[in-house]
Amino acid sequence: MSYAYLFKYIIIGDTGVGKSCLLLQFTDKRFQPVHDLTIGVEFGARMITIDGKQIKLQIWDTAGQEAFRSITRSYYRGAAGALLVYDITRRETFNHLTTWLDDARQHSNSNMVIMLIGNKSDLESRREVKKEEGEAFAREHGLVFMETSAKTAANVEEAFINTAKEIYEKIQEGVFDINNEANGIKIGPQHSPTNPSLPGAGGAGGSQGSSCC
Amino acid sequence: METSDSEYFESADEDFQSDDEDTKTVSSVTKTEEKPNTKCVNDAIKKLEHVQLEDTQEKNSLNNNKKNDKGKTNKEIEDNINSNEITEDLAQIQATKGPGSKLNKVEASHPTSVKKRSKETDVPKKLGAKLSCKDSVAKPPQESPECVKNVDQKQPKESPECVKSADQKQPKSETSNIEENLWDESEIDWGKENEDDLWGNDDDWEPVNEPTVPPQREKIEPAQVKVPSSSSWGSWGTWDVSSIISTATQSVSTLTQGISTVLETGIGVPDPEELAKINQAEKEKLKEIVPDEDTDNSGFGLGNLVMGVSQLTKLVETTGTKVISGGLDTLETIGKKTMEVLQEGDPGLKKKRAFLKIDQDKPVLSQLLREAKEKAEEENKILEEKHFAKKAKNYETLFDDHQGLVHLEALEMLSKQCDIKLQTLLESYTDEALTEMQETMDQVKELCELPDEEEDEHANWTEIKEKLESAVSEISIPISYKKFVETWEETEAWLNNLKLEICDARELHQQAVETLAQLTAIAVEQFHKAGELLLVKEHRSTADEADSLVQLTTTLTSLIGVVAAKFSDKLNTKSSSSKNKEEINSLITNVFFEAANSSSYIQDAFQLLIPVLQVGAV
Repeated sequence: MSYAYLFKYIIIGDTGVGKSCLLLQFTDKRFQPVHDLTIGVEFGARMITIDGKQIKLQIWDTAGQEAFRSITRSYYRGAAGALLVYDITRRETFNHLTTWLDDARQHSNSNMVIMLIGNKSDLESRREVKKEEGEAFAREHGLVFMETSAKTAANVEEAFINTAKEIYEKIQEGVFDINNEANGIKIGPQHSPTNPSLPGAGGAGGSQGSSCC
Repeated sequence: METSDSEYFESADEDFQSDDEDTKTVSSVTKTEEKPNTKCVNDAIKKLEHVQLEDTQEKNSLNNNKKNDKGKTNKEIEDNINSNEITEDLAQIQATKGPGSKLNKVEASHPTSVKKRSKETDVPKKLGAKLSCKDSVAKPPQESPECVKNVDQKQPKESPECVKSADQKQPKSETSNIEENLWDESEIDWGKENEDDLWGNDDDWEPVNEPTVPPQREKIEPAQVKVPSSSSWGSWGTWDVSSIISTATQSVSTLTQGISTVLETGIGVPDPEELAKINQAEKEKLKEIVPDEDTDNSGFGLGNLVMGVSQLTKLVETTGTKVISGGLDTLETIGKKTMEVLQEGDPGLKKKRAFLKIDQDKPVLSQLLREAKEKAEEENKILEEKHFAKKAKNYETLFDDHQGLVHLEALEMLSKQCDIKLQTLLESYTDEALTEMQETMDQVKELCELPDEEEDEHANWTEIKEKLESAVSEISIPISYKKFVETWEETEAWLNNLKLEICDARELHQQAVETLAQLTAIAVEQFHKAGELLLVKEHRSTADEADSLVQLTTTLTSLIGVVAAKFSDKLNTKSSSSKNKEEINSLITNVFFEAANSSSYIQDAFQLLIPVLQVGAV
C-alpha cells in the first residue's frame, strides 16, 4: 500500500452533525445509525487516486463535544484539508460555523483547504438551513461547499476527493511546500528524494512525468 | 550696558552664521560677517576695561562684607557677564578671523558635530543674554519678574530670526534650531530662578571646564578652542576669581557636568527630531518644576548667596539627572516598544517561547518510525522483486496498519501541548510558587518511574489479565483493556491451531511480528485515549493515575515478553526438526528484537503521558 502523497485531513463541527458517520461511510462504505461519542480524536485512512497517483488520506475525526475542544485544537496543526460539517436539520450547528472556522484558521496553516459540508441531506423534511445559505457562507469565507448524506452516501466520496483534488492542485501550483510536513502533506516512500524523476526541493508540477504503479 | 546687549545679539547672530558656513548653506546674515570682527575686538577691549573696573569694585564690595548686598551682587553680575562676553567674543574672533582656525576645521571635518557644538556654545551665550538683560533693566532682584519679561520679549525676537534663517537653509537644520530654541526657553527658566548665582558659576566656566572635561571627543573641542582666551584672562592679572566662594566652584563643576551630560545625551540620540522631542519633554518638566521654586524665590534675598548657589547646584543636578533619565527614557521606550511588537497577540511571548522550545526537541518517535517504515517498505519491494518470497510486512508497516503510528503522533501533540501549558505556568510563577510547582512536577516524574524490569517470564495470561483489569479500573477513566484481551485470545487460538509440520517458519515469524505490532499499536492507542480522557477529567488524582499507568505499562511490556516467548518456543520446536537452523535462529532473534522494540515504544508512549499527569497535578 505505497502512496505518492499522504494528506492529513481533520473533520470538525458541532457534536452530532455526523462527522464520524461521514468518515465511516468514506472508509468502510457503511452507515451506522447509532454511533458512540468520539473521544478526543479517532482515525480513518483510505487510498484514493488523483491524476494517476495513489494518495493516502489520513483522516482525523475530532470530537465535537465542547469538553474536548481544547484537546482537539491541538490536533489541527499540520492538516492539509479540513471538512467543516454542520447539520442541515439543526440551525445552531450552522450558526456555530464561524467559531469553528476561526479556530481552524488560527490553529492550522493558512493554505489548508476547507470544505464546508451540510450533512444529512437525506432529511429534507426536517431541513432548517437552506442550501443557498450554506453556499453563501462558503462564498463569503472562501470555502468549497457541498451537501452530503452519510446515510445514503450522497456526495460523501466527492466531498473527500474534491478536497484532495484541491490540495493536489495547490501542490502542482507550488502553493504547498511538500517538504514541509507542517502543511499536512507527506511524500510517499517511492517519492523519496532518491528518485531522480522527482523534484528534489519545494517544487511541484514536475512530478507529472513520474510513473506510478 | 546697552551696547553690550546689542553686541551680544550680534555675536549671537554671527554664531548662527558661522554655523551656516560650516554646513555650507546660504546664510541670511552674511553681511554681519565683517562688522563683528572689528566690533568684537573693540568691544573686547572695552569690556576688558570694564572687567578691571568692576573687579576692583567687586573686591571692595566683598570687603564691605555684604553691607550692600544688592550692589555687590550687581557688580558681581556685571563682572561675570562681561568676562563671559569677552570669552565669547574672543572665541568668535578666533573663529571668524582665521578661517583655517581650529574651530572651523573641527566643524568642517565634523559636520555632524556642528549642531552639538553650537548648542554648547549657545548655552553660556544665552545665559549671557539673559543676565545682561537683567543687569540693564532690573538691577534690584525684586524686579526680576520684569527682567524675565524682557528676556521673554527679547527671546522671541531672536528666535524667529533663527528659525527664519533656518528656513532659508535646509529643512534639516530647522530641527536643530528648534532644539536650540527649546534650550533657550529652558535656559530662561534657569535664569528666572537663580540668575545671580548662575553668573557666579559661569565665571568659573572656562577654567573648570578645562580640567574636568578631558579633551577626548569632538563635542569638547569648543572648550579647547576657548582655552587660549582663558589663558589670556590670566594675563589680565587683576581679575580675581577667588572672590567667588568655594561652593560656587563646586556648583560649577556640577554645572559643567550637567551640561556635558546634556551634550553627551544629545550625541547618544541619533535623530535630532527625537532630541527635539526629548527637549520638549524636558522643557515641560522644567516648567512644571519652576513654578514651585518660584515661590521660594519671593523670599530670596540677595544675601543668601550660598543658599542660592546650593539651590542652583541642586537645580543643575536635577536638570542633569533629568537629561540623563531623558536619554534613558528614550532607550527604555525603544525597548518597551520592541517588546510590545514582539508580544503583540502573544502575551508573555508564550507562543514564541514554546515554538522555539519545540524546535529544539529531539527527533520525534513517530517520525523515526515512519521513516523506518518507509525504508523497510522500499527494501521489501526490492526483495520481493528479487525473490518470489511472499509479501512480508515489516513491523513498522504493521504498526501503522493498526493505527499505532497516528495515535502516537496524536499523543505526541497532546504531550507537547501539555508541555507548553506547563512552561507557560512556570513562567508565570515566581519564587515559592515556582519552586513548589517544580517540586510537584518532579514528584509526578518520580511516581512515573518504571521499576527495573524483572524478567517475569513465568507470568501467565490469567495473571496479566488480572493486572490489566486492576490497572484500568484504578485510573477511573473509560479506557478498555478488551482490545488486548481480544488480540491475545486470537493469537493464542492461532497458535493452538497451528500445525507446526505444515506451517512455514517465516509465516510463524510474520504472525509473531504482526501480533507484537498490533499489541503495541493498541497500547499506544490506549495511552493516547487515556491522555485525552485525563485531560477532560474533572477531578484528577495524580498519584492514582500515575500508579495505574505505571502498572499498565509494566503489564503490557510483560505481555509483549510472553508473546515473544510463546512464538520463539514454537520456532525453537520448528528449528529442532528443520534443516535450516540458521535461518530459524535469525528469525527467533528478530522476534525478540521486535519485542524489545515494542516494549520501548510502549514505555516511550507512557513517558509522553507524564506532562499530562503533571498538568493535572499543578
